[in-house]
Amino acid sequence: MRRHQSLQYILIFILAQIAWLSLLGLWIYWYISNYMVYNEASQNTTYRPISAKTNIIALVGGLILLVAVSLGMSLIFARLSIQLKIAQLYDNFIATVTHELKSPLSSIQLYLETLKRQRLPGRKQKEFIQRMIQDAGRLNNLINSILEIAGHEQKKVAHHFEVCDADPTLRSLVKEAVDQFKLPSNAVQITGKVSGKIISDRNALKIVFNNIFDNAIKYSTAKPIILVRFDRMDNNLIVEFRDQGIGIPPKDQKRIFDKFQRIYDRDIPSVKGTGLGLYWVKEIMKYHGGQASVFSEGKNKGSTFRIVLPIYQTIAKHHSKRLLKTTKRSQEQPNSKERGNRV
Amino acid sequence: MFKGKKILLVEDEESLAIGLEFNLKQEGYKIIRAHDGKKALEYFESQEFDLIILDIMLPFVDGFEVAAIIRERLPQIPILMLTARSAARDRVKGLEIGADDYLTKPFHLKELLLRVHGMLKRKMWYQSSIEKMPIYRFGIHEIHFEDLTAHSGERVFRLTPHEALVLKYLIDHKGKVVSRKELLENVWQIRTDVETRTVDNFIARLRKYFEPNPEKPEYLISIRSAGYMFDEK
Repeated sequence: MRRHQSLQYILIFILAQIAWLSLLGLWIYWYISNYMVYNEASQNTTYRPISAKTNIIALVGGLILLVAVSLGMSLIFARLSIQLKIAQLYDNFIATVTHELKSPLSSIQLYLETLKRQRLPGRKQKEFIQRMIQDAGRLNNLINSILEIAGHEQKKVAHHFEVCDADPTLRSLVKEAVDQFKLPSNAVQITGKVSGKIISDRNALKIVFNNIFDNAIKYSTAKPIILVRFDRMDNNLIVEFRDQGIGIPPKDQKRIFDKFQRIYDRDIPSVKGTGLGLYWVKEIMKYHGGQASVFSEGKNKGSTFRIVLPIYQTIAKHHSKRLLKTTKRSQEQPNSKERGNRV
Repeated sequence: MFKGKKILLVEDEESLAIGLEFNLKQEGYKIIRAHDGKKALEYFESQEFDLIILDIMLPFVDGFEVAAIIRERLPQIPILMLTARSAARDRVKGLEIGADDYLTKPFHLKELLLRVHGMLKRKMWYQSSIEKMPIYRFGIHEIHFEDLTAHSGERVFRLTPHEALVLKYLIDHKGKVVSRKELLENVWQIRTDVETRTVDNFIARLRKYFEPNPEKPEYLISIRSAGYMFDEK
């Protein structure tokens, strides 16, 4: 439906441009033919019906105005295209969030009605209650994550930046992700070592690591194997997460960090997600003064997510001061929001 | 009555699938669970089922595609779409593809079980009915109730399961007036306080297929304030 609408807009835009250009052509033709007639007539008389100077001003002025109108239309069209794309992405987001919210909710309702409907043995009751708790936790995580992203965009999220040793911090984050997803010990291999300090919001980095691990697991058709590599390049620390999943086509690699962006492909083994996880990863890395990127040789060739963090000693003083000041300020605000997890 | 009937449950949400499986088993049904569209089609190819409960947002092959493939191979099997997608366009798409029923999440357990029971009852009635009369001819039309195909002169097309059910019910009661209420209760297995316009829409569609002039129907006749009647002059 939206695709059909945007095609309509493109057609209207093209037709409008053709109309302007035709008008311009007609106008030039009219001007030149009239000018020639006047010129011919004026050779036979001393009377000058129109001053040549006025004509040129009118022509040039008109041309400038036409170009301005045309430019304005192009700008409006570009803006409209962006709005349409955002609206389309937002629709996808609503559809996926609805799915993500309704599924655990349906599950909770189903178990409650089951418990109400029949007398179950204690073991079964416990199992069903445990499932409801898990579903409620999933709902809570999702709602918190969405609220936190909204809060981050309105600068209301509490930041807890502190200076810490890079190697143990990053290793412990990997370990926590392994525990969180209950991965077997041989599923994750760490290589490399980094020295130096980083200025980081540990809880935020945990979200980054969890989201990258979550993606690697969701998009692996076999048992996931994740290779984590620590390295240092110039004034930055690098952490690479290489998985053996279904990979990302080159055309999607650039936009995968965009808000609400999800890749739809019939080879994708999971439909869960909101299109906010990697956007959040990018945003968290951005306010750390670092960056996040992805590389994949293509479909079924795995993906490598890379995060870059600046080394504390090399960060401009004013930047590190600003980050630490943010922490201080947020600690003084008791109402600042707590963090969720992955989206 | 339907104990031992085999249901293919296609649901990627593990927690929900386990709860559904438990309750359906309690009703006496045999359950085979698939967590994605690909697996669902594999099971469908290798086993026989009496009913399919199908989610839409599935990995690999989505529910719409699964329903279309299943409907193509086995036009009569009842399909219940159970999904979080509640938009009218999704509902219409699901029913157009050939789902017999569409239930949105979150749902009431009792309602789901009643719908499953109703669908199985409908299937049983339809099967026993077509055993007696697998093909019916009227005018230039020939209806094959086994594979839901209709032959109208040179034209061959397929009816949806509900269209075939409505037509079959009216033919079975040829020459008698069938009220909308009766059709809703016996074909849709739903309470009569639900929209009766649904029946009118189906009759309008059937008239388009089989009446030379749908404005002046010869076979599917409206009986004012009473309902519909199938007749052959």
